[in-house]
Amino acid sequence: MEALSAEPAAAAQAPDNTPDEYAPVAGRSLAEVEQVRQLESIAAQKAARDYQHIIWAYGILWALFAAYGIFLWRRSARLRADMSDLRRELGGREGR
Amino acid sequence: MRRFLPDVMLLAAAAIFPYSVARIFLDTPIERTMGTAFKIFFFHVPMGWLCMLMALVCGIAAGIELRRRSTTASAVALAAAEIGFVCGLGVLLTGPIWGNATWGKPWTGDARQMSTALLWLILAAYLLIRHYGPENSRRLAAALAIFGAVDVPIIYYAVKLWKTTHPTTEVVGSLPPALWASLWPGLGALVLCTLGLMGIRIRQLLIAEELDDAWVRLADRRG
Repeated sequence: MEALSAEPAAAAQAPDNTPDEYAPVAGRSLAEVEQVRQLESIAAQKAARDYQHIIWAYGILWALFAAYGIFLWRRSARLRADMSDLRRELGGREGR
Repeated sequence: MRRFLPDVMLLAAAAIFPYSVARIFLDTPIERTMGTAFKIFFFHVPMGWLCMLMALVCGIAAGIELRRRSTTASAVALAAAEIGFVCGLGVLLTGPIWGNATWGKPWTGDARQMSTALLWLILAAYLLIRHYGPENSRRLAAALAIFGAVDVPIIYYAVKLWKTTHPTTEVVGSLPPALWASLWPGLGALVLCTLGLMGIRIRQLLIAEELDDAWVRLADRRG
């Protein structure tokens, strides 16, 4: 009973034009509408093929990690050299 | 096995990275409004999380270093600060690239950007003091690292406390499963890569410390 009484109330609140209904464009000429559509299409294509930003962003990320990797590798080489110097010193000292 | 753990982590990261990139570029659909530039998200956001995590680790390790004068804590703090610095630089460089593509402006100066830039500057200052400061400046560096850790919750809550161009923290949680499936491999690879590099750096710092001690002992014996 409640459902029956609720139906007319919902129908009364619904807007006059549903999305499927024809609604003419107001305040714009056909040429303007076409121009807007063309611009939107260009923007969509540009967004979908925006590889420049991607290449820069990913390139920077990997370059940073590579640079840090090189920094660690050079540090390791320096430590190895320091260790062999110490061994040489100790060997020379023991030999004396 | 423990000795090779960082190398294993780096190898695992190297194996996951190509899969992650292939998933992001070949299997993830292009976002409707942001277009291809949205794919920056898959590494920009995990880098931001890792930068904050490393700042927290650095702050906690620096606190332990201050209290117990632990050499290991000191090495962990320095390694975490270096990785946090690299990740922070990555976030601060990729963010403006993404912002330029989607907002039309590389830098809006919102609270999240400013607090992240502040954290990066704190980490830079910490590293400068640790590398070039005198021996007794370690306490000052540790205090600075603790300030950096305090900035982490400010970065996280910046989008909730102030009006920002960045989306709220709920956005990542509300991502559809298809996007999470592309985010996980990238995040996993980055975590493994950073932990592997951190492990190597900690080992280097501990060896360097031992070598310095050995040289000093040798000089003492000679003297």
